[in-house]
This record gives sequence, structure tokens and C-alpha cells, in this order.
Amino acid sequence: DGVAVLPAPQNLSVQSTNMKHVLTWSPVIVPEEIIHYSVEYQGEYESLYMSHIWIPSSWCSPTQGPECDITDDITATVPYSLRVRATLGSLTSAWSTLKHPFNRNSTILTPPGMEITKDGFHLVIKLEDLGPQFEFFVAYWKREPGAKEHVKMVRRGGIPVHLETMEPGAAHCVKVRTFVKAIGRHSAFSQTECVKVQGEALPL
Amino acid sequence: GQEFQFGPCQVEGVVLQELWEAFQAMKDIVQAQDNITSVQLLRKEVLQNVSEAESCYLIHALLEFYLNTVFKNYHHKAVEFRILKSFSTLANNFIVIMSKLQPSQEKEMFSVRESARRRFLLFQRAFKQLDREAAVTKAFGEVDILLTWMENFYQ
Amino acid sequence: VSCVSGGLPKPTNITFLSINMKNILQWNPPQGLQGVEVTYSVQYFIYGQKKWLNKSECRDISRTYCDLSAETSDYERQYYAKAKAIWGTNCSKWAETGRFYPFLETQIGPPEVALTADEKSISIVLTAPKKWKKNPEESSISLEQIYSNLKYNVSIHNTKSNRTWSQCVTNQTLVFGWLEPDTLYCVLVESFVPGPPRLVQPSEKQCVSTLKDQTSTLKVK
Repeated sequence: DGVAVLPAPQNLSVQSTNMKHVLTWSPVIVPEEIIHYSVEYQGEYESLYMSHIWIPSSWCSPTQGPECDITDDITATVPYSLRVRATLGSLTSAWSTLKHPFNRNSTILTPPGMEITKDGFHLVIKLEDLGPQFEFFVAYWKREPGAKEHVKMVRRGGIPVHLETMEPGAAHCVKVRTFVKAIGRHSAFSQTECVKVQGEALPL
Repeated sequence: GQEFQFGPCQVEGVVLQELWEAFQAMKDIVQAQDNITSVQLLRKEVLQNVSEAESCYLIHALLEFYLNTVFKNYHHKAVEFRILKSFSTLANNFIVIMSKLQPSQEKEMFSVRESARRRFLLFQRAFKQLDREAAVTKAFGEVDILLTWMENFYQ
Repeated sequence: VSCVSGGLPKPTNITFLSINMKNILQWNPPQGLQGVEVTYSVQYFIYGQKKWLNKSECRDISRTYCDLSAETSDYERQYYAKAKAIWGTNCSKWAETGRFYPFLETQIGPPEVALTADEKSISIVLTAPKKWKKNPEESSISLEQIYSNLKYNVSIHNTKSNRTWSQCVTNQTLVFGWLEPDTLYCVLVESFVPGPPRLVQPSEKQCVSTLKDQTSTLKVK
């Protein structure tokens, strides 16, 4: 193949948003050749008790693209070491290891999408389905001075959930944030959305 | 959010559902290797009627044993049966729980500590009466009994 | 009755089907014996105990299931069961289940659902599913007593607006108020126990219509 030694992938990093974790690296370039990569990981248990053991990633051993969705591999809130190597036929590069172990508690949490509807006097919310890790902290209130804010925990996204029965003529407002049990963190609140019985959603 | 409350010991950052899913994925393979069906390590005498105060000591002792003895000696089988991913999920989450348990060492708690220790010794003695590899296989196959008991303290 | 073991192929796919702790052992006939009058015998084993035990009501049976609810009623224990095929003096080896844990593996049936409607509201009364019991005279054990975190997912469908929404509740009575008069609503309820993944059975869909709005009928007079 005209390639004596295959260089190891460089610039490993993890992008993590809403508990979806993607490992990326700079591709290894060999003209007119297709390079494959293998990704492996070690949790804290492995590095403490079994330091020689690395576990092949669920989806990227091997893979072609210079990235790997490691979400299914990161299943505890502990530091994970990650490494990648390139292969071309029988040639394999050295392992390249992520400089700092990745912990899912560093994931970026964004406010969830929500859809507010009404069925007659009933205020109904449908939240973005972000997966089983997410619960939703929904705050809702009647838009009038001194109104009391109510709170409801919604355990699952993707299905319409009844929030409250609205009084005719009053605007009712809702905002929501996510909560991730596994890391004990929540996102910022979403935009507030208001709706009035027999009226359309009102701009703020 | 949901967390473990073993008496005074509180543990966040573990989603019991993830542990269940990990064990369910390997239950049949693991339990099929346990041929000594006449012995149950985590018997009722070990886990039944455990007081809140005792629970922190008992879970600490059990998880320490599982990490240092059971998982350590079952790892090669996890590779053999291709269940390394599920095995790793359990092991790493047990480490999170262990790291957050701080059972009190105060003198007043001596009798509670002793009671928990006697329960653990029941388990450990039964473990030691078996051949080492068989005992490790059996203990790993009984993680569903352990998780069911831990579920009582998950709020 | 002794027989030559291994002379027949084993029953296949032997598993427990468990709903509300009614635990039925079921299997498929051995392959390649179509048309042959095969009978079966069943034994069960309590994990941690010493011996396999016969299930006398399932000795030399021709059906391919056996109710082991009574024998496996201590849901905190774990069990094995096995069946073998018999034909004349020949019999198969035992076909054995994996370890069965009723507490984790039983399917949670739906609650009983009672609906009553008036003009603008529907009240729903749920009765928790009951654990299997041997005799009807025995007192019932509600699954709420076994699963303290049992919840219900109630979904209601407005057939006029074609909208559906749901609510997760723990109590057994709820009222949906401020509904539209003279409208057909359909309700579906699912029991749900957080924790290990369990199979769930939704209730039968039940529909009820809110009454006509009395005030508008008075005006008409």
C-alpha cells in the first residue's frame, strides 16, 4: 500500500448535548484509500480494577467516518477514557487517547421543545422526546397579577399531557425545563408560551 | 430527582433503570451458567427486614464485595459471553454508589453496624462454601435480587 | 412410570406466561412428532431449595401448559420449571425454563375502569389489578400492596376534536371537568410500575358521552 506507518488520529474531542455524546477526531488521510477507525472506552471501574481492559464501542468498531456516537457506551456518571486508532488493510496506527476523560455530567442541556394546545378548556402540553434520561419540570400559571405558579413533573416526552383546566377568558402561560436524573442537573427554562381559551397562542 | 436513600446515606446520579436494563440484557446467559440451584447466596435472612439504619452499612459491604471479588473474578467470563458492555454499566454504577456512601462510624451505631455485618457474613459464608468460580457466577446471577432490594431505597 | 429417557425430542420454547402473578408454564410440542399422541409431565424447583417437585395435576397431560400459580405464589422467591414428553415407554429429556422471578417478570394487568358522565365532566374510578388467588373465597391482594409505586397512565380521547391527552395518576379517582357537552370521549388506562422493564397490558378502550347541555334545551322551550 505504499504506506509504511499509519499515523494515529489526532484532535480527539467529545461534543455532548442533551446526553447525546459524539467523539470526533481529525481524519487520517491516505490518498485514494479508505481508512477505517476503531473506538474503545474504559470506565472508572476498568481503569481502577482492569486497567489493561478496553471495551470496543457499540457502534464504531470499526467505522469509516471521523466521528462516533458513544451515547450507548457511556452508561454511568463516571469519567470515561476513550481511544481511537486507524486501520488500512493490515496496517494499524497507534492508539490515540482523549486527553481528558469524559464525564456525562458535562453535557450541555438545552431547553426542550414544547407544543401547547388546548382541547376546549383543557391546557395540554406535548414535550420533545429526548429519551428515557429526561424528565420535565413544567411551570404554569394564570396570567394575572399575583398569580400562583403551579408545577408538574412530566416523566416522558412525545405524548400530550394534561396540564390544567383553564378558566374562560383568562390567558394561561407555560414554561418548561428538563431534568436529567443521572447527572442531577436541569436545563434553562424554555421561552414562556401563553394561550387563551377561544384564543390563539399570544406573543409575549 | 430520584435517588437512593439508604438510611442516612443519600446517593444521587444513578438511574436504577439503567442498571435493570443492563442486567436484563444478560440475565439468561449469566443465570444459565449457575448449576448449583440448591444454594441462594442473597437469601431472605440476608436482605429481609433490614432497618433503614442498617441499610447503609449492608449496601456498602455488599457493593464492596461485588466490586472487589465478584466483578473482578467474573470479568473474563463477561468477555467470553460478550456481555462486557452490560457488565461495565453495572460495575461503573456500583462504583458511583460506593463513592457516595459514607456509613457513620460513630460508637452509638455499633449495634446497628454489627447487625448489618452479621447479615453480610451470612452471605459471605455461603459464598465461601462454594467453589470459587461457581460462587462468583452465582453471585453475579443474583444481581437481580440485589437490585430488587435496592429498589426499596430508591425514591 | 419409568421410561427410556432421550428416546423423544424435548418440548421447545418452555417459558412462564405471568400476568398479575398468575403463572402459567407453557411450551411447544417436540418437533417432528406431528400426529403422535404425546403426553407431558411437569416438575418445578424453588431456587435455593433441594429437590425438584412433581406437579401432580400436570402428570401425563396432553395439553401444552400447566398452571403453577399456587406453587410459585411467593413472588419474592425464584423458580425453575421443566416438562418432558412421553410416548409409550419412550420419553424425552427435560426441557427447562430459565430462572423465573415473579416479582420482576409478571405483567401488570390494567385496573378496572368505571366511567360516569354528566354534562361537562367524566369521573373515572380505577380499581387496582388483583394478585392471582387460589380460591375465590380468599381475600384479594391488590397489586398496589405489592408494588407501592404502582401508577396509572390515563389517556382520554375527544372523538369530536380528535385530540388525545393523558395524565399519570396514583390515586384511583379522578374527574375530568370542563368537557364539551354531548361529546363522546374514550378512555384507556395502563398500569405502570417504575423500575425494571415490565410488560404492560392496557385496559379495554371504554367510551362514554357527556350529556346534552341542559341550559340550551331550556332556552329552546
